[in-house]
Amino acid sequence: MAPAPEARGDPRTCADESEEDRGMDRLIGAALRYGVLTSIAFILAGLALLLARGGAADVLGTNSPLNTSTISPAAVASGLTSLDPLSMILLGLILLIATPVLRVALGIASFARERDWLYVLITSIVFVNLMIAIFVLPSALHL
Amino acid sequence: MCTVQPLVPITLLVMILEILAFGLIAGFIGSLTGLGGGTVLIPLLTLFMGVSMAYAAGASLISTIATSSGAASAYIRDMITNVRIGMGLEISTTAGSVVGSLTAGYTYSHGLAWILYALFGAIVLFSLIPTAGRGRYEVPKPISPDATTRIFKLRGIYHDAALGRDVEYHGVRWWLGEIIMFFAGAISGLLGIGSGALKVLGMDWAMNLPMKVSTTTSNFMIGVTAATGSSIYWYLGYIQPALAALTAVGVLAGAMLGTRVLVRITNRQIRWIFLAILAFLGMEMLLRGLSMEGLLRVATTSEYAASAAFTAAAMGVLYAIYGRPGWHGRLS
Repeated sequence: MAPAPEARGDPRTCADESEEDRGMDRLIGAALRYGVLTSIAFILAGLALLLARGGAADVLGTNSPLNTSTISPAAVASGLTSLDPLSMILLGLILLIATPVLRVALGIASFARERDWLYVLITSIVFVNLMIAIFVLPSALHL
Repeated sequence: MCTVQPLVPITLLVMILEILAFGLIAGFIGSLTGLGGGTVLIPLLTLFMGVSMAYAAGASLISTIATSSGAASAYIRDMITNVRIGMGLEISTTAGSVVGSLTAGYTYSHGLAWILYALFGAIVLFSLIPTAGRGRYEVPKPISPDATTRIFKLRGIYHDAALGRDVEYHGVRWWLGEIIMFFAGAISGLLGIGSGALKVLGMDWAMNLPMKVSTTTSNFMIGVTAATGSSIYWYLGYIQPALAALTAVGVLAGAMLGTRVLVRITNRQIRWIFLAILAFLGMEMLLRGLSMEGLLRVATTSEYAASAAFTAAAMGVLYAIYGRPGWHGRLS
């Protein structure tokens, strides 16, 4: 970032910066909003299909033994091609979990644009923590 | 020879509506307070629907993400959330959440769920006191900036619609915030809540941030913390897809409603409504945990009566200490 030509405290400098920030904030806001909306769309479509096809009682039972440890992400992918209601719901849930992760990733980009390297580092640490929880730990602990 | 069965059995429909309604209530309260829907959702599901604690916790974490992301997109527009402060504190909450989720795995697999019920209740009850105590101040008394204020740029400004002016603020004691956030993350992973109560405590007590900044920033942080915990919960098998999906939808709808209300009501009002509900649910979870292990033998009705009596007493005491009007006549 080139040093601002204006004197310190010049209102125009502040306005320009906040305008730039706002563009990024808008992007982040939109990513969150559309991430959640897409996920909810899959969830609702899955629930509707589930009810329409019957057999919902097995899947919906509040203490049903059916849970995420019995379904692999690969099975979700193959289930989607045959419009399997459960796979659609699971995809919705995966997308929902992914929205905060995306938000952190965009945060890194946002701080990099502001040349705020301390916060690029901080946000990267948060991102690494997330990756450890999502990919490293489950395989390392054979959960 | 038999009557025509409706496509969806009535009992199933009732159950679906019940889950949606509980989600709606939890989401509304969660977004108003910045505490996340889980604190209200888990007691509703376990106490009134007989859902197991592990599934309730899984559904709660998923819903918490929905609340956080849904509300955050609106808060960003209002420019109240302090992204720097939130992101910095996420280092501790995500690390804490990993520790907490793995501990939850151990606890459930060893048949110790009652401890989590009791702990949930106890934590909710303890969070009543600091939450009530800070009810007196809309904006905290200023504390001089320290080294961490400068290094981590803990400054900000926001427009408070209820006060009708811009509020400029700065945070202090970043390190203390980080320590509290580690525990907040651990509790989040252990109990499946956003643990916004502890996050708000870390920000408004330790870092001296205005309540509105604390609640909205906490709301932003909750999603990242919950994403960490739910990915571990996913592999542990605590996420019942349909239950989690239904609560997520309900909670999200409730949260959107809550967000609309948040900008209009004052910090003080939020707190007192919330405290009463919390007192009841917290006491109820504590009693339920103790009776599961046989440490307490009472009928469910007297359990409710005891919790209701406790709520009335606790609210009376808290209001007598913290709720006296006078300083805040402008609101009436």
